[in-house]
Amino acid sequence: MHASSFVFPNDPHVPWSIMIVLYPYITGLVAGAFVVSALYHVFHQDVLKPVARLALVTALCFCVFATLPLLLHLHHPERAFNIMITPSATSAMSGFGIIYNVYMLLLVVEVWLVFRPDIVALAKTTNGWPGMVYRLLSLGDREITKESRAVDEWLIRALAIGGIPAACVLHGYVGFLFGAVKANPWWSTALMPVIFLASAVVSGIAALIALYLFFCWRRKITPDADCVRAMSRYLWVSLTIAVSLEMLELVHMAYEAGAEWHAISTLLTERLAISYGVVQVLIGSVCPFLLLLLAVRPRLNPRWLTGLSGIASVLVLVQVFAMRWNVVVGGQMLSKSFRGFVEYPLHIGGREGLIAAAVILALPFVALIFASRLLPLWESGDKHVLSSKPFQPANTGNSLTTGTLTSVTNQQRTMFNEEDTADTDAFNYGAVMRNEHV
Amino acid sequence: MKFQLNILNNGGDCCGSDDSREKQCGNHTGCGGCSDAPDASSRRQFLNKASTVALGSFSLTLLPMSGDLLSDEPSPDDPDGAPADAGSRTADQSDEVVYGFLVDTERCVGTGKCLTACREENNVPEGYARTWVERFVHYKDGTVQVDLVPETGFAGSDVPPIAPGLVDRAYFVPKLCNQCEDAPCNQVCPVHAAFTSPEGVELVDPDRCIGCAYCVQACPYGVRFINPETGNADKCTWCYHRIKRNETPACVEACPVDARVFGRLDDPESELRKRLAAIPTSVLKEHLGTHPKLHYVAKSGEVI
Amino acid sequence: MNWKLIFSRNTRHLRILVLLVVAGGGGAFFVRSQMIPADYGQNGPYRHAALAKIEAQPSVLQSDTTCLKCHTNVEEERSESPHAAVRCLHCHGNGKQHIVDATKAGEFPEHSIPPAKKWDGKFRTHTDLFITHDRATCLSCHTRVVGMPDSFLSINVAAHLEEQGAEEINSKNVCFECHEGHSPGL
Repeated sequence: MHASSFVFPNDPHVPWSIMIVLYPYITGLVAGAFVVSALYHVFHQDVLKPVARLALVTALCFCVFATLPLLLHLHHPERAFNIMITPSATSAMSGFGIIYNVYMLLLVVEVWLVFRPDIVALAKTTNGWPGMVYRLLSLGDREITKESRAVDEWLIRALAIGGIPAACVLHGYVGFLFGAVKANPWWSTALMPVIFLASAVVSGIAALIALYLFFCWRRKITPDADCVRAMSRYLWVSLTIAVSLEMLELVHMAYEAGAEWHAISTLLTERLAISYGVVQVLIGSVCPFLLLLLAVRPRLNPRWLTGLSGIASVLVLVQVFAMRWNVVVGGQMLSKSFRGFVEYPLHIGGREGLIAAAVILALPFVALIFASRLLPLWESGDKHVLSSKPFQPANTGNSLTTGTLTSVTNQQRTMFNEEDTADTDAFNYGAVMRNEHV
Repeated sequence: MKFQLNILNNGGDCCGSDDSREKQCGNHTGCGGCSDAPDASSRRQFLNKASTVALGSFSLTLLPMSGDLLSDEPSPDDPDGAPADAGSRTADQSDEVVYGFLVDTERCVGTGKCLTACREENNVPEGYARTWVERFVHYKDGTVQVDLVPETGFAGSDVPPIAPGLVDRAYFVPKLCNQCEDAPCNQVCPVHAAFTSPEGVELVDPDRCIGCAYCVQACPYGVRFINPETGNADKCTWCYHRIKRNETPACVEACPVDARVFGRLDDPESELRKRLAAIPTSVLKEHLGTHPKLHYVAKSGEVI
Repeated sequence: MNWKLIFSRNTRHLRILVLLVVAGGGGAFFVRSQMIPADYGQNGPYRHAALAKIEAQPSVLQSDTTCLKCHTNVEEERSESPHAAVRCLHCHGNGKQHIVDATKAGEFPEHSIPPAKKWDGKFRTHTDLFITHDRATCLSCHTRVVGMPDSFLSINVAAHLEEQGAEEINSKNVCFECHEGHSPGL
């Protein structure tokens, strides 16, 4: 029995702040968004076509800002590169250097490949500095031939396949970072990488539903109901898996009731009652679970579908943030003496304060809106690929003649809305590049 | 999308040789003609190739890290070719001096002289501690209360005194860095700023620490903290600067009752080794496998 | 694998990409290798110069041997008493400045040692000396506190003073009516 609370003298100084809550949140969104795009590119879930490009660009926009919370957290950010100069093979954190850079490269290349036809087309038509950017990105290509596009498609799929284990590592290593700390019984579990990964997929799908519905609202078009329904189904399944894993870990800990269980149970019932019980479980898991259950019914009115899915996805995004909070901050609230708890003082201002966190969270969305202006997120780029003759197989020895790409004006581009480009999978280029459209 | 698969396959396998496909395709002008037919085998082949390429190229990214582990030649991380694990001593350190520490909880009287000595010696900022002394009070009703000895001792402090009549037994437990053999703090440092000196003392390189605080999280004993003035990870170093000059650590120097004993573990004739051999000793959180070099005499099971 | 295609004009952009990636990656690895500190890995996976830097930290606390070099009588005075284990600095302060002055006075006899700074009454180890004839110095260890082993001689102040019949129980140096600092046993 413990009469009073006691914490070690250094424990009240909580070192990992909201910035460390944000980092797994952002990389989780990156991994999750990438998984959605992989569902389209690798597993041929064509129903996800409307969000495939959005998913990739979202992953890229979030990945760009993933280092920001870490830099704000480090007490010596000017030495941040030490992680790449003298990394430690035994430290999960030092994996960041390679893992993040490789993944960033993969995303940049994949986005570039997916948007290359649009970039090349825009390079010819845009003036000023955006035109210079496009021309630079096009690497001097003035036209897109069918074979080059075919090779691109092959590489896109290869990268998407390779990106799946890379996404698992990108977020799994963060889970391992926590799960391998034997000093903290709230963190130390073999399930942690899996929980983090499942949670990441959940957050990515939810973010894409929310973003897709948001962009459709802004563009004043009706969202593709099949796409939203499919995403909601994926969200429901992955949410079930993620929450099951989280609950499994808790139930296992409670059942075994090891030496520190008395401290952890007090942590949950007293300090994390609101953020865990109410926000993460009730509002963030049970509610979306039920909402999505209603939403994915096949004959539901599309307006209901988008409404329920939208609300569910926002709740899920809150749940994932709460889960990260409960792990990172909750784990530090437990003193290493296991006889008391400390408070985490959330500052409003300052390097690791609420305002800085809000800004960091907002930046990827700003980047996404910026990206949506730079690149067409909604149309397929295949219409810019040349086709003046029917495709000849390579083994006949003929090389394809490359036709000339006539300038595609914006007016012509808007002639091709989503319905027209829906069947570009069949390479129906004939209707796109005939001279009579000039 | 199916066209691209066939390009890579040189058109060799795309339509296959079984009759079913021939019937479906009708003509053999080239794989383009079979574009609408299901083409499972080439898709499988494609996935095989693609995944091999992708996984292979991904595993290449691990080379720079694994090279240090796998190579037999001296690498920048460890000239002897052993794995770059900073936690445990390697073979060439076994003939070096190894220090150890003993704390006798039966002798400590809780004066707090060690605390002020450490603070003065190492310029420890207010609010942080490299060493501290806990007091365990076992009441007659079975409850256990733990509190901290104030730096000036209980005598001059505001802590309300405890009525001795309610107490079964009580004792003081000094705490400091355990200088673990298999230190989790060194294991998790991402930049090799936390390392083990040849004498077995865990130190922090003040010019390379990035202040990520992973080591602070990994220490099971709570002895590490981020120094707010330097931004580096900080902790008790057993006064490394003093022991290298053959002085004793400040807290050992300051203790008036010899509750803290410092000495050499590698010398069987040292006073420390003799004392360790004479009486049963234990370490903190032994189940975590950190193998501390800080031993406690007569430590109750309540002390963690 | 259609090699003709791989090296045709159609894949020029990919070859440029591969070149950029390889050049970038190679450049990064080269830069990294230049930035590894020269003495890194000398003795283990750390920067060897860090040891020297940590060792160079000056010692603050003086050991008894420093004081006893001049104050030779003290060693004999407390040789029989438990206060032999009490460090000079506990009752007298660390005296770092005093030692500097004393060393100077030893070399330059005209240099005088200034009087010890007045103690401000707070319980902490000063780097200077402080006045010891103060009950607070004694009581900082000898006030009975729950947790002390029974073998440790400690008192409840009011009870002890009454029991012993102290004369000026409110004076600052009442302890010294009966006890002597270096060998306090009666």
